[in-house]
Amino acid sequence: MAEWIARQLPALVVLVPFTAAPLAYLLGTGFGRQIALISALLSQPLAILLAVTVVREGELRYEVGGWGGPLGIDLVVDGFTAVMVLVTTVVGLFVTVYALGYFGNRERYRFFWPLWLFLWGSLHALFLSGDIFNLYVCLELVSMSAVALVGLTLRREALVAAMRYMLAAILGSLFYLLGVALIYGAFGSVDMQTLREVVRSDTTGQAALALMTVGLVLKTALFPLHFWLPPAHSNAPSPVSAVLSALVVKGSFYILVRLWVDVAEPMAFPGVSTVLGVLGSTAIIWGSIQAFRQQRLKMLVAYSTVAQIGYLFLLFPLVTGGGQAAADAWMGGIFHAVSHALAKSAMFLAAGTVLARFGHDRIDGLGGLSRRAPVTAMAFGLAGVTMMGLPPSGGFVAKWQMIRASIESGEWWWAAVVVTGGLLAAAYVFRVVGPFFGREVDDLDDADLNAGPSPWTMESAALVLAIGALVLGIVGQPLLDLIMVSAPALVAGVTP
Amino acid sequence: MGKVTAKSPIAVRVAALAICAGVGALLARAVLAIPETEPGLAPLVDANLAVSGVKNAVTAVLLNFRGYDTLLEIAVLVLATIGVLSLSVTQTGTWDPIAAQADPVLSALARFLAPVMILVSGYLLWAGEHAPGGAFQAGSVLGAAGVLLALSGYARPIWVSRFALRAAISVGFVVFLATAIGEMLAGGLLLEYPADLAKTLMLVVETWLTVSIGAILISLFIASASPAEELRRRSGGGE
Repeated sequence: MAEWIARQLPALVVLVPFTAAPLAYLLGTGFGRQIALISALLSQPLAILLAVTVVREGELRYEVGGWGGPLGIDLVVDGFTAVMVLVTTVVGLFVTVYALGYFGNRERYRFFWPLWLFLWGSLHALFLSGDIFNLYVCLELVSMSAVALVGLTLRREALVAAMRYMLAAILGSLFYLLGVALIYGAFGSVDMQTLREVVRSDTTGQAALALMTVGLVLKTALFPLHFWLPPAHSNAPSPVSAVLSALVVKGSFYILVRLWVDVAEPMAFPGVSTVLGVLGSTAIIWGSIQAFRQQRLKMLVAYSTVAQIGYLFLLFPLVTGGGQAAADAWMGGIFHAVSHALAKSAMFLAAGTVLARFGHDRIDGLGGLSRRAPVTAMAFGLAGVTMMGLPPSGGFVAKWQMIRASIESGEWWWAAVVVTGGLLAAAYVFRVVGPFFGREVDDLDDADLNAGPSPWTMESAALVLAIGALVLGIVGQPLLDLIMVSAPALVAGVTP
Repeated sequence: MGKVTAKSPIAVRVAALAICAGVGALLARAVLAIPETEPGLAPLVDANLAVSGVKNAVTAVLLNFRGYDTLLEIAVLVLATIGVLSLSVTQTGTWDPIAAQADPVLSALARFLAPVMILVSGYLLWAGEHAPGGAFQAGSVLGAAGVLLALSGYARPIWVSRFALRAAISVGFVVFLATAIGEMLAGGLLLEYPADLAKTLMLVVETWLTVSIGAILISLFIASASPAEELRRRSGGGE
């Protein structure tokens, strides 16, 4: 049994949520909740086992159908994959627990469970895929489920946001697919391991990579292609907002990193990484300022995501030079993806509790929240610590690595952006957290429809995620080691 | 975010044209630069066709070599249907007739065509083993037959419950998944068909995929009927 699990592990990680999803749909309302919880609990040991196995044995390769690439499709697990699966599984569990309280047994939201399980499975499939066409299918699965989840309330604003999100997501997918077609035409394979040997920096290769990059940047909502994100993330039901900001945008980012740093590294042209870095820096500054100016809590959190996505893109200019700087940038960028996932899901879940209980999320009406909902106010505040990058939080470790990388590479200006971004984050976090612990305003009447305190599962799910983001900085070393397992040659410092 | 207006300013339209022309030129250059002697996987597929269990290369790629893609694609279809149902006004996904009053000519034609279409669907499914065809084509014809019936005023048979509809939508994915997991339990890898059973298993999977694809297409068509129509029907006590 143990041997069988070890052999089938990469497939099992994908299959558990994908088996649960159609069952949740088939069996309907009451069962959807139980099935989602069972799937969430089963996924935990599998994700941990995957990470442990990768640390012990290095890269895992699972040949679906027994064919092996390039004829078949391989599932590939390295440190980067294992980390992303792990964070998806952890955030997924707490979002599931939160959603049990949030949606209750309401018949109207019965579609949440199959859609969410499909989304979860698609994210795992995406992180494990070793094939660029299969990644396209995964992207479609992620986008379709995410769009449907945004529109779940059928409220007008949510439907408009979902529609705009869908158009952006489909355009992004098609750009990516166009690039895949060109790559297959020019190099005759869609298997990443094969492509690594044969890609050349010729006209077709460059055009393909340019198209794929534009498509993926649109799907990741990097400034200035972030226009669809704030309305979609803020109008979605809060458990969905949490998943979108914490995990979904990182799916397309993951593919972008795989392409540029791993597969097509020999054909990289330095100008592109600088452009991505500059856009990332602009996103940090602009997104933070916009976040500060918002009147509604969920909009503030959504714009904060626009800003935090910017940090991820600093990875590109900082890894280009190779050496120690590249390794630090690699660890910093991926660590940031993890700590942001924990902190941002905590923030959205906390904001969702406020919205569900008091019927509004106007920032100027939330003064004194800490007396009415202390756990939720605490969760939001602790998540804010990570967002600002204060020690000992996960955000601090990530930023520390990025600053080190920028000093080692001699490009100190990226460090300046990181520091400025931290200060701006402090401004928008304190703008809401300050009043939370301050004087009470009259606007905190329990909404009629949802009177009384929220289920403890909702409040504690947000708090646990926020604490997780905070202690990530203390227990970060094993995670940094995991990130470096079988890292791409450019990052691992191996010169072929 | 600006209000969506019917007519965009001329500058926006010129800019859009310029972007489209630029991307078009880039694409043209990239495509023209592809070498004449295309590399590709066709030789590898031909070399392995004999052990795939079927004689048609497309079916071998879809169901066997890249069966994992197809498994995820059928998941996309199921997921898209759930998404559309979750956004439709009634959210029930019942196959009620769309046309309130059936045109007698259309109705008679549908009565004649539907059995033929089901037969064609079955043929396409079987033909996929050695010739162009297979579950997606067969399912499309099946779906078209259902749409035709709905448009001609035929109601869903009373014995088809909502659970049965959900089952029809998801059965293809579930059977495909069960086959894949069964292969793992039998000592193989995910979607690794045992050589002597490959043909049978693929046919079983394709048969249920046909049923699901047909059901999915009918559901998508009916669920996206205009909301006004649905609301009118609901207010008339249709639910």
